[in-house]
Amino acid sequence: MQQAIPYKSWPLPCIDATSHRARSTTTLGHNGRGKDVLNIVSENAVIVLARKGCCMSHVVRRLLLTLGVNPAVHEIDEENEAGILNELGTICKGTENNKMVQLPAVFIGGRLFGGLDKVMATHISGDLISVLKDAGALWL
Amino acid sequence: MNSPTPQFVPSRLGIYEPIHQIGIWGENFKSNGNPNTSTSVIVEVDNKLENESETTSHEMLTASNNYEQEASKPIDKIQRRLAQNREAARKSRLRKKAYVQQLENSRLKLIQLEQELQRARQQGLYMGGVLEGSHIGFSGTVNSGIAAFEMEYGRWVDVQHRQICELRTALNAHISDIELRILVESGIGHYFELFRMKSTVAKADVFYVISGVWKTSAERFFSWIGGFRPSELLKLDPLTEQQILEVCNLKQSCQQAEDALSQGMEKLQETVSSTVAGGPVDEVSYIPQVATAMEKLEALVSFVNQADHLRQETLQQMSRILTTRQAARGLLALGEYFHRLRALSTLWATRPPEPSLP
Repeated sequence: MQQAIPYKSWPLPCIDATSHRARSTTTLGHNGRGKDVLNIVSENAVIVLARKGCCMSHVVRRLLLTLGVNPAVHEIDEENEAGILNELGTICKGTENNKMVQLPAVFIGGRLFGGLDKVMATHISGDLISVLKDAGALWL
Repeated sequence: MNSPTPQFVPSRLGIYEPIHQIGIWGENFKSNGNPNTSTSVIVEVDNKLENESETTSHEMLTASNNYEQEASKPIDKIQRRLAQNREAARKSRLRKKAYVQQLENSRLKLIQLEQELQRARQQGLYMGGVLEGSHIGFSGTVNSGIAAFEMEYGRWVDVQHRQICELRTALNAHISDIELRILVESGIGHYFELFRMKSTVAKADVFYVISGVWKTSAERFFSWIGGFRPSELLKLDPLTEQQILEVCNLKQSCQQAEDALSQGMEKLQETVSSTVAGGPVDEVSYIPQVATAMEKLEALVSFVNQADHLRQETLQQMSRILTTRQAARGLLALGEYFHRLRALSTLWATRPPEPSLP
């Protein structure tokens, strides 16, 4: 399993040579808390927060992979879900949407980007690649 | 078998099949299975009636029998009989033609009636009745949700058809861009309306949407997650160079998104399948497995919504890339395509049955 590379100390541009199978998946056990989640979110250029066994997160992952991005995936247990979503909700109040964070949730560049809806829409309009590049998740 | 006289040779030697359509052509064709008495029956075969041999009337049979017994009948009687034979054959062919014509007309009427029936059904005359069999046993709310959708969808198709005709007329009449824009906007909005309707009925019964029973059979053939493939929208030309690039990118993005969703669906299938199959088979109770599987199936609703969302986004992006006129043409082509698929379905439903093998 690949270790998530800290966002701040991003190495020099190198092609993402990791195989598609080796994705960085972290799961917070019973001790999971909102704070830990926030740490992970800020540490990764792209990370997907999803419920365990969620098929939609699979869709997001596959889409990002075809673009050349290997997103970190963080699976949330059911028990922790409400708590984590609350934490994220309070943090994200500053941004445009005051809606409840929906899972799966995609974070790009340490900030909440949106759900699968947003990713699809941005991808179709052709803006997703530049968003990912700005966040340092893609170099090409 | 008596040998025929040298003046004439029968074209078929006593081999003819009994013709079963007795009475339809208004004449009785009796067949005599005994070859010995009919060797000298002359059968005139038309090119169109290759596999049929026609016998003469009963009167002719007797006449030829008589002939057989007295080999020395004068030639002109033979000629007369030949002429009568030809005449009978000609009349028979004309009658057959009339009959076939009648059949064709009835067939067209049948097609029209079926279409009317389909429309009437969608307008709720059969509400609560036989809704595709598979809905028997569903709760009242599910059925009413489906019935409401079927009604609305019937109307949607009618409006769609009207819009297509309007677009076609407008494009041929060279109306102003502003007016054309209005038509384009309402066309796109109409599709969005459909996605809204589908979203509502998906909550009632997602399998109904995914199965595509609400569509015609040919449309169903191309179905992808409860509707058309977003990439179907991108059959376009002519385009400027800049547009070609943009459309190319859109095609690629669309395809990537489709693939991602398809793979997600496969994953869902695997998950549900392994959940249902899980647990010891010796146990009688399978409730836990089925209950868990049900929870997982909830995700299907999201897939339908995401697929429709993709269709919506692709439509919108297309209208951004294209000029008003191109967008109008694109919408016309799309609407016409589905219209033809529906016509194909009707035609297919009324095709003649396969002939049963002997």
